[in-house]
Amino acid sequence: MSEYEGALLKDKKIGFGMYLGVEAIMFATLFTNYIIFTPSPHGPQPGELFEAKSLILSSFFLLSSSFTLIGAERFLSKGKKLGFLIGLGITFLFAAIFLGLEVKEFYKYVSEGNGVSANNFMASYFVLVGLHAAHVAFGLGWMAALFTNWMRNIQKHLYHEKLKIFSYYWHFVDVMWVVIILVVYLRFLI
Amino acid sequence: MKLPIVGFMPSDVIAAWIFTFVVGAIITIYVLKRRKLPLIWDYMRTTNHRKIGTLYLLFGFVFFLRAGIDALLMRSQLALPNNHFWLIQGEKYNEVFTTHGTIMIFFAAMPMLLGLMNVAVPLQIGARDLAFPYLNAIGFWLFFAGGVFFNLSFFFNQAPSVGWTGYAPLSTEYTPGPNTNFYVFGVQVSGLGTILTAINLIVTILRHRAPGMKLTRMPLFPWAALFTSWLILIAFTVLAIALYLMMFERQFGAAFFSGDEGDPVYWQHLFWIFGHPEVYILALPAFGIFSDIITTFSKKRIFGYPAMVVSLALIGFLGLMVWAHHMFTVGLGAMANTFFAITTMMIAIPTGVKVFNWLFTMRGGIIRFTTPMLFALGFIPSFVMGGVTGVMLSVSAADFQYHDTHFVVAHFHYVIISSTILGIFAGIYYWFPKITGYLLDEKLGKWHFWLFLFGFHMTFLPMHLTGLNGMQRRAYVYYAGEGLTALNFTSTVGAFLMGISMLFFFWNLYKTFRFKPIAGNDPWDGRTLEWTQASPSPENTFEPMPVVHTSDPYWFAKKSGHAMITTDDVRPMPPSPQTILPFLTGILMISLSFGMVYHWFWLAVLSGAGVFAIMFIRNVSDERIKMEKGEKIHE
Ligand code: HEM
Ligand SMILES: [Cu+2]
Repeated sequence: MSEYEGALLKDKKIGFGMYLGVEAIMFATLFTNYIIFTPSPHGPQPGELFEAKSLILSSFFLLSSSFTLIGAERFLSKGKKLGFLIGLGITFLFAAIFLGLEVKEFYKYVSEGNGVSANNFMASYFVLVGLHAAHVAFGLGWMAALFTNWMRNIQKHLYHEKLKIFSYYWHFVDVMWVVIILVVYLRFLI
Repeated sequence: MKLPIVGFMPSDVIAAWIFTFVVGAIITIYVLKRRKLPLIWDYMRTTNHRKIGTLYLLFGFVFFLRAGIDALLMRSQLALPNNHFWLIQGEKYNEVFTTHGTIMIFFAAMPMLLGLMNVAVPLQIGARDLAFPYLNAIGFWLFFAGGVFFNLSFFFNQAPSVGWTGYAPLSTEYTPGPNTNFYVFGVQVSGLGTILTAINLIVTILRHRAPGMKLTRMPLFPWAALFTSWLILIAFTVLAIALYLMMFERQFGAAFFSGDEGDPVYWQHLFWIFGHPEVYILALPAFGIFSDIITTFSKKRIFGYPAMVVSLALIGFLGLMVWAHHMFTVGLGAMANTFFAITTMMIAIPTGVKVFNWLFTMRGGIIRFTTPMLFALGFIPSFVMGGVTGVMLSVSAADFQYHDTHFVVAHFHYVIISSTILGIFAGIYYWFPKITGYLLDEKLGKWHFWLFLFGFHMTFLPMHLTGLNGMQRRAYVYYAGEGLTALNFTSTVGAFLMGISMLFFFWNLYKTFRFKPIAGNDPWDGRTLEWTQASPSPENTFEPMPVVHTSDPYWFAKKSGHAMITTDDVRPMPPSPQTILPFLTGILMISLSFGMVYHWFWLAVLSGAGVFAIMFIRNVSDERIKMEKGEKIHE
């Protein structure tokens, strides 16, 4: 990587790091919101709704996708292209499964009559976990762009750069999920 | 839901439609006749910092005029007791003060400041552009989209009427129609742009300074821009989430701020955690502008440079701690009120330091009373007066008396107008050569200044008294015999004087573009790096790149009689592409907002998909992929 590319990548890392800081403040506000309004004085309660099984399953897929992404990056820097593609492919797949499970969970709640307007616990749940799910969906689109760039065979250092920024994003999304497990679910499952 | 374009329309809306069509036709004819379409097309695709700064200033100014007309309408209604001016009473008055406040803060003052930062900060620190030129364009077009969208509400006769603070439950339970949604989405979209621009400015200032320009040698305007941007990151992020929650409450049945579970005071906390720092987001850049102008026109170094920087930081930090002084009367309790009262009063200390340092900078200097300098000088006493009433308001017990009277209105206009608005005009006169290559006329500039300053005090000084006499804020009527008539009438005359002063500004612009008084690189005998560059600043600045050894480097180079040392070893910059994508993003955000406001969710989904498609296109085809040749990822 030339000095030119290095400097620009560092700009991007700092800028994107700050962007993630902004996102962290957003999530922090929503976590506070959730804590304020949960449990609600009436209507559905977290203890009745949450299921350990689906939480464990979806967490497994999302959290391991961070590791498959790290693996993919390792492969790429060692020049093992097939390994990289498989790694990124599995990351994509796991993210998609996670999103599917999330949607299923949302759908179940809504079809049981527990939508956003059921009470403020449900509302604060949906604004927080829903925003996180939207981040995962966005990440899927981003990975699709990474695959496209692979097919277009762009310059090596640029590809590394794009992959690096994406991995920051992806790990951030995972860390937020861990906090969601702790704040949103775990208290009401044990 | 149907757009209520047909059917009954109030006459002010019809007048606005006609006015817009006429002005639009004139502009179109002008553009076609003078063959300006290529120029417009160029600006629609630009990512150059000076051009984006110009766009910010231009559209910020257009919105400033719109909000200024609102102000004149309000003042006309309040001119006489029991008045029935046109139709500016009742609900209409509510709409007018809401759009006035919202537009002034979000779509006039902030963008014009961001415009000046865009123009001047890179030039002052020796950067060739902002760190992320494409992102800069996105930031601008998001502001543009939010501003246009918010303003359109008026043309559909659906202007929001909940105050710029959008207090619940008025903004939630009691206004279910589309009106308040225009507030929610207009502010949200432009706020996102502001956050992105703040990140861009921080990276630029931290990483793209000229060789040798340590932070301790940096002019004060970039310093102010740096602290402002940090405040934006915190304040606007909280606002974004507050509006996000409000959207869920208004559109999808959540009940955070009203109903039996929600709490209106919760909205007030979220809003003012944003709202108070916002005041400093408006004031700090103006402080930076004045610092630079006062040094230039006193021919002296700034007095107490380290103290100036530290007090900027302190003001910013304390600004984050005081939000609840807007809520003394909601019943937070004596402890909380005392805490917020004391932190508020503490802000007077660093502000006082700054005021004295400005005065000491002038002491013994060779002062030139140019137009920018006059704006800076007018600022100091006016701002001190606003500061004094601020300390009065921070006495929480006394605030129960002043709260929601015109005393508060007088206070915050004193502070905001004397810092932000005078600062913006000072900056426009000062950097006009760097933006256009021409100098504004000094004589007309002075007319503008004196009329504006005089009108300003004449408008708002009486409001302190009407407020103390019990005149409520946001009320559209008072009655004869309440002792308010003479003061209110004076106030209205003052407001119109301010309006007239703007005519001098227009005349000045007209004259300047007619006679084109070429400014040259360094019309003010400046001290900082921007004056080493051509006017208007070219797309490729700093070739060669100056090496900085001191603060005010250009001044000391001139004084020593040697040219500035330069180097070819420059910091890498990303290319500034020409691209229509940011503009399209803005347009799609407008249609997305329409979809959300009127519950045409198909439109919202389509527009959202369009925005993501643009991001995707950008990701797989950015200009560096096109430009750089090099090793491919695979063969
Ligand atoms: C230039 C001359 C201006 C005049 C004559 C003017 C006049 C007024 C008046 C009469 C009100 C309504 C008071 C009430 O009934 O409660 C008002 C409110 C307000 N003004 Fe101005 N104003 C001016 C400039 C500005 C500027 C430059 C800003 C900010 C950058 C600003 C921000 C506001 C805000 C935030 C409100 C409160 C709106 C609300 O209550 O929701 N004004 N102004
Ligand atoms: Cu405040």
